[in-house]
Amino acid sequence: MGDIILTMKGIDKTFPGVHALDHVDLEIRRGEVLALVGENGAGKSTLMKVLTGIYKKDSGTITYEGHPVEFNNPREAQDAGIVIVHQELNMIGHLTVAQNIFIGREPRNGPFIDDAKMNADAEKLFQELNIEIDPKETMSRLTVGRQQMCEIAKAISHRAKIIVFDEPSAALTDAEIAQLFKIIRDLRKKQLGIVYISHRMDEINQITDRVTVMRDGHNVGTMLTSKSSKEDIINRMVGRVIYENPKAQSNVKPDAPTVLKVEHLNAGRMVQDVSFELHKGEILGFAGLMGAGRTETARALFGADPKQSGEITINGKKVDIRSPEQAVRAGLSYLSEDRKRFGLMLKKSIAENSTITCLPKYCRGPFIDKHREREVSRKYVEELKTKTPSIDQMVINLSGGNQQKVIIGKWLIGDADIMIFDEPTRGIDVGAKQEIYELMNRLVSQGKSIIMISSELTEILRMSDRILVMCEGRITGELDIKDATQTKIMYFATQRA
Amino acid sequence: MEKFKNQPFVKAIGFNRLVLIGVIILMYFLFALLTPILHGGASFLKYERVLSALNYAYFIGFLGLGVTFVIATGGIDFSIGPVMFTSALISGYCLKQYHLPLGLAIVISLLIGVVFGILNGYFVAYRFLPSFITSMASMQIAKGVGSVFTKTQSVTWPAAGMPNSWFRSLVRWGNVPTGLILLFVVAAICAVVLNKTKAGRYILCIGTNKEAVRLSGVNTKKWEMLAYVLCGLLAGAAAIFYVGAYTTVQPGLGDTFNNEAIAACVMGGTSMAGGIASMLGTVIGALIVALMQEGILAMGFTISYQYVLTGIIVLVAVTADTLSRKRKV
Repeated sequence: MGDIILTMKGIDKTFPGVHALDHVDLEIRRGEVLALVGENGAGKSTLMKVLTGIYKKDSGTITYEGHPVEFNNPREAQDAGIVIVHQELNMIGHLTVAQNIFIGREPRNGPFIDDAKMNADAEKLFQELNIEIDPKETMSRLTVGRQQMCEIAKAISHRAKIIVFDEPSAALTDAEIAQLFKIIRDLRKKQLGIVYISHRMDEINQITDRVTVMRDGHNVGTMLTSKSSKEDIINRMVGRVIYENPKAQSNVKPDAPTVLKVEHLNAGRMVQDVSFELHKGEILGFAGLMGAGRTETARALFGADPKQSGEITINGKKVDIRSPEQAVRAGLSYLSEDRKRFGLMLKKSIAENSTITCLPKYCRGPFIDKHREREVSRKYVEELKTKTPSIDQMVINLSGGNQQKVIIGKWLIGDADIMIFDEPTRGIDVGAKQEIYELMNRLVSQGKSIIMISSELTEILRMSDRILVMCEGRITGELDIKDATQTKIMYFATQRA
Repeated sequence: MEKFKNQPFVKAIGFNRLVLIGVIILMYFLFALLTPILHGGASFLKYERVLSALNYAYFIGFLGLGVTFVIATGGIDFSIGPVMFTSALISGYCLKQYHLPLGLAIVISLLIGVVFGILNGYFVAYRFLPSFITSMASMQIAKGVGSVFTKTQSVTWPAAGMPNSWFRSLVRWGNVPTGLILLFVVAAICAVVLNKTKAGRYILCIGTNKEAVRLSGVNTKKWEMLAYVLCGLLAGAAAIFYVGAYTTVQPGLGDTFNNEAIAACVMGGTSMAGGIASMLGTVIGALIVALMQEGILAMGFTISYQYVLTGIIVLVAVTADTLSRKRKV
């Protein structure tokens, strides 16, 4: 194993309300693949963004090849030889492979781009990497895996000394992953320092030399991959302390009827053959890592996105849901993870937001009955304890927690029986979080049924009666709350089909 | 100032719109002052001038009211001017060539507007085309259809005193500007639709956050389409007021009125980003556009100056709108 090429020491970064990185140390060595693992929000991506100059650190030092460095933007990091291969590829589909690789630094011939030289240079790069891709091919015609190889080639062309792979295998087939690993091994042989961010335990065993585990913005330990088991790593990721009381047992009566039955739901790559049941008065937790397909499942179920196949039965009756309109009529509601984009009309009043789900109920003929509209909206502001000077307040002026209450209110006014909460407490402060939890418990005790998608394991364990775990578009595990632990959930969440 | 803004009377009309009314009065006096100086002793202070300005305000007002619905959804309609002309051409042609009763000709004019509204609305709401492109295309279609139908000839509607000329009393009845009354009546109806009905609420909400409205279980396509249909209908109505004032329509024209109607909207406080709209503001905006046009001609300038000024007004009004939104967020 090689010498140290880069050291990060005491890196600290705070976003409003979140201490994203708390004095994190990290070492990258030449000729070594370092795995960087951790739950969602553990700080892996933030750390890498600090490294590549996308974020500015609050404090700490970065030493690169023996000198302290400070990158102000990704371009500077790139010029110094540190590049990141993102999960989402940054390729321009209608340009050729070579044009993408040399974008912004095309070889020139007078005022014109020297296409011949550009293609030849790209060809040389691919030979170096033992990849067979035609530089003149249009990017969008390549598979995702081959596009990623172009991205790697682009990194190499910057004379990279450190390459960070951010969940590179998420979109790849097995064969493509095998080829990716071959390339990574080659790069390792060429004495590059490689950081490999992944959730997949089996890959970490295959390709990496050391593992650094992050949790809640801390580096909680670095181990040799060969000397650590999958369980070791998962235990470190979730930590042993459970800081909020998990639910001891399900509150759902054993004879509770099934209100929603989803069978063989398919919608693209992110929703594959998903089947489950939801019982009356149940909070069904959907756990999984980012990109597991939970939101996609919810959106397909709700008719927000098209689905290829799948049968949905609500209260014993088969329903055809192809639009949110039909979903709402069937008694479904969806509280999006992105409140501002998909949940609220920020520049409208609380009253106007409240009745949007069922405006016809608050109309007399074509006219809106503003008196009754205000009445019902006031009633729910009081019932949900939404903090606002008045129901005429524009929603944009409310805090995150109160905005979430406006959304819950609008679905209660819309009389939805099955509520899908997608990350219900994201971006909400601790006090308001507590209130949302209490509210959810009250709703199920009143006979509503809830699907709760959450990336916070503590939240899943605290709220759910039953837990489904998804990974890459499939349900990989089901746990009753009394058997569920963070470790078990993480086990399923990293289980590839 | 704050105290003045909070008075019930000011609140009912809106501070911005009171400012615009002030602008109208100011413009009127400015023109009255400058016209004799610049145009060799001619007088601006004549009732005929007022009626002439109002003639221009009517059809711009109707076009503006229509496009306000579309802008409220966050879209735009650049076809209204040519659609108005096409409506006037085809219905006028039917009136003269096929001797249809006047009432039927008016209905045809409205229907042609509605057809173009459906065309725009379908492609924007159901086929997800940008409204800009869609309405540019239908503008071309409207121009062409009108020309083809009349074999590229202009159409002259019956003059006053001739049979089938009662449509003129919609615009002017003796010395009474009936058009102004009708414009305000229709504006009031539009305002009620926009602010008091389910349709108007959906239209404004779509302009604020269409996806959130869709995910609330609303058939957004239907309501977005409705805005374009109302816009078309009002363009069809504008046609009658245009010929009531100017008698003759030529094929292949009308696009300059798009900009003036849109200028009237944005001046009146309708946000180009959608979600905020004022029908009263649009009418006041139309009056300003009309008065400006009259004043420019009275002072002896050519109509080209009007185009320059309209362009500047749009830029200023939209900039003001963009700035005020930035401050609020």
